[in-house]
Amino acid sequence: MPEFFPPAYLFFAAALILPFLPQGRLRGAFLLIVPLVAGWLVWTLPDGNLMPVRFMGLDLELLRVDKLARAFGLIFALAAFLGNLYAWHIRDSVQQLAALGYAGAAIGAVFAGDLISLFIFWEGTAITATFLIWARRTTGAYFVGMRYMIIQVTSGVLLLAGAALHYSETGSLAFETMTLGSTATWLMLIAFGIKAAFPLLHNWLQDSYAGATITGTVILQSFATKMAIYALARGFAGTEILIWIGAVMTLFPIFFAVIENDLRRVLAYSTNNQLGFMVVGIGIGTDMALNGAVAHAIAHILFKGLLFMGMGAVLFRTGTIKGSELGGLYKTMPLTMVFTVIGAAAISAFPLFSGFVTKSLIVSASAENGYYLIWLILLFASAGVFHHSGIKIPYFAFFAHDSGRRPKEAPTHMLIAMAIAAGLSVLIGIFPQQFYMLLPYEMEYEVFTQTHVITQVQILFFSALAFTVLVRTGVYPPELKSVNLDTDWLYRRLAPAVVGAITAMITAAWSLGAGLVAGIRRGALDFLRYSQGPEGRLAHVWPTGSMVQWLAIILGVMLVVVYLA
Amino acid sequence: MRPEQEDTSQFPALGRALLFLDDKKNVDRIVYGLYALCTGLFALDFLYDKHTTFGIEGVPGFYGIYGFVMCSALVIAAKWLRLGVMRPEDYYAPRDTQHEPYPEDQLERIDYDA
Repeated sequence: MPEFFPPAYLFFAAALILPFLPQGRLRGAFLLIVPLVAGWLVWTLPDGNLMPVRFMGLDLELLRVDKLARAFGLIFALAAFLGNLYAWHIRDSVQQLAALGYAGAAIGAVFAGDLISLFIFWEGTAITATFLIWARRTTGAYFVGMRYMIIQVTSGVLLLAGAALHYSETGSLAFETMTLGSTATWLMLIAFGIKAAFPLLHNWLQDSYAGATITGTVILQSFATKMAIYALARGFAGTEILIWIGAVMTLFPIFFAVIENDLRRVLAYSTNNQLGFMVVGIGIGTDMALNGAVAHAIAHILFKGLLFMGMGAVLFRTGTIKGSELGGLYKTMPLTMVFTVIGAAAISAFPLFSGFVTKSLIVSASAENGYYLIWLILLFASAGVFHHSGIKIPYFAFFAHDSGRRPKEAPTHMLIAMAIAAGLSVLIGIFPQQFYMLLPYEMEYEVFTQTHVITQVQILFFSALAFTVLVRTGVYPPELKSVNLDTDWLYRRLAPAVVGAITAMITAAWSLGAGLVAGIRRGALDFLRYSQGPEGRLAHVWPTGSMVQWLAIILGVMLVVVYLA
Repeated sequence: MRPEQEDTSQFPALGRALLFLDDKKNVDRIVYGLYALCTGLFALDFLYDKHTTFGIEGVPGFYGIYGFVMCSALVIAAKWLRLGVMRPEDYYAPRDTQHEPYPEDQLERIDYDA
């Protein structure tokens, strides 16, 4: 027996067994044990290429283990555990199977050492995740799921095209650090960029996170985007353009987050912003910056999972997640409120919470490498994320004006899942050096310096001050029942309109042409009918005498012609 | 529903303990506390040896001012953004989930009032 087992296949095997287990405690426990065993498998995997396979003349590396892959593998296993714990009450086989398959595919992708197996797992996450949206079983969710699947599968197809071109150029399928330049590398960057929600490619994120089921969103947010961050860190570390892409990503979502009414969409915008920080870190590409990107991805899975759990619990108990419908829930859901506030503190990077020790790596790296403008942008984006995720989410859900709703506290299993995520977010924040040891690269970084802590507390409290002043002076925009147009308008409204207009034009041209042809044909037929029809001149029954007469005339004419010739 | 009319005895203990937040006077106290805290944090800049990378960080209160100004600008810019992008909730209906109620069979509503 080999001393290792590929963790991804554990999930797939579990998905095969799952339907034979009765719904209830047994299945719930099974869904919790599988990720734990997977986590242990990841932890004990030795380094190296453990499963080289030769398939149809291609060298595939199904299990490439190093510190970068292991860090993501571990957090993915933990995220699957927390997601399944949060979904303990679910009795829907579709969601349970999708969660297992999705986690397995994501873990498979981070351990894939070649581009072909990466592609297969990449598409695996796309398809499994779609079922977490469809499981809502409404018309709207059907369309959201279709959009999600089309966009995600497109990302995979671009990856495959890039891999094929890369293979024909270099003769290698190994997934290693690449230099941006050829068409192949650009295709792969765009493929990763779609999944990492680059600006203009980002709308699937807000669309799907607000459209999936309560538990589905918690599971959805853990894997796809972080897998893309992993792929960027592996393939495009130190690619300068990523710094600028990432900076734009940290900026534009915060404006939308401030005016968004659906609180799960607010969180999706804030995910977009946080991914921007990671992309900046990857673009800077020093050991510290890359560590920062990985660390922030890990911390983000925990604290954003926690925030989605909190909002999910509110939705579970009240049936709505619109800021305009909520408020005053702290009275009857105080524990959910406390855990959400911990998640909010972690994402806002309060000292002693996880965001502080992870985001600082990226912001400090930008300063140390002399990116002055980027540093200013990141600072602004940090304040902005505190504004909309740190304050707005807890404030409008649990405080603000009393909505009169008095829902019961979240179910126990949800509270336990939130407590674990909250506990880990605090632990990472208190013991950063122990956490840094899990990171892939060597570095020396002291996060709790006097200057750093004081300046961070200053920027956070003055942001809170701005919020307070704006709310109390009535400047702050109220939560309104609305949707906001984003660039998805281009393909949800403009493109169908343009296609519709073109279709109408083609239809008009076609019917005009067809009318013309029909007219000509009718004219020809009428003429034929006129000449050859029953009443036609040529179709008359002529007397024999007239034929003889015509023969005589023709013969006469011939005679004259022959005589003259 | 005003708290003095409401029977809060069934609420969770932590929720009852936090009911003081319903009183506007207490909210005012918290806000004044925040003002005092921010003043203190601003003053702190003159009291310790700041280790900085960029020159602008050395400006006293830079982080506080930057946080306050940029956050205010963020909110005001977002308000303007609303003028351009806000649409009714059913704008994308029926191909969207925003206008739909969440399916009741996937919820577990339990109310303290019930």
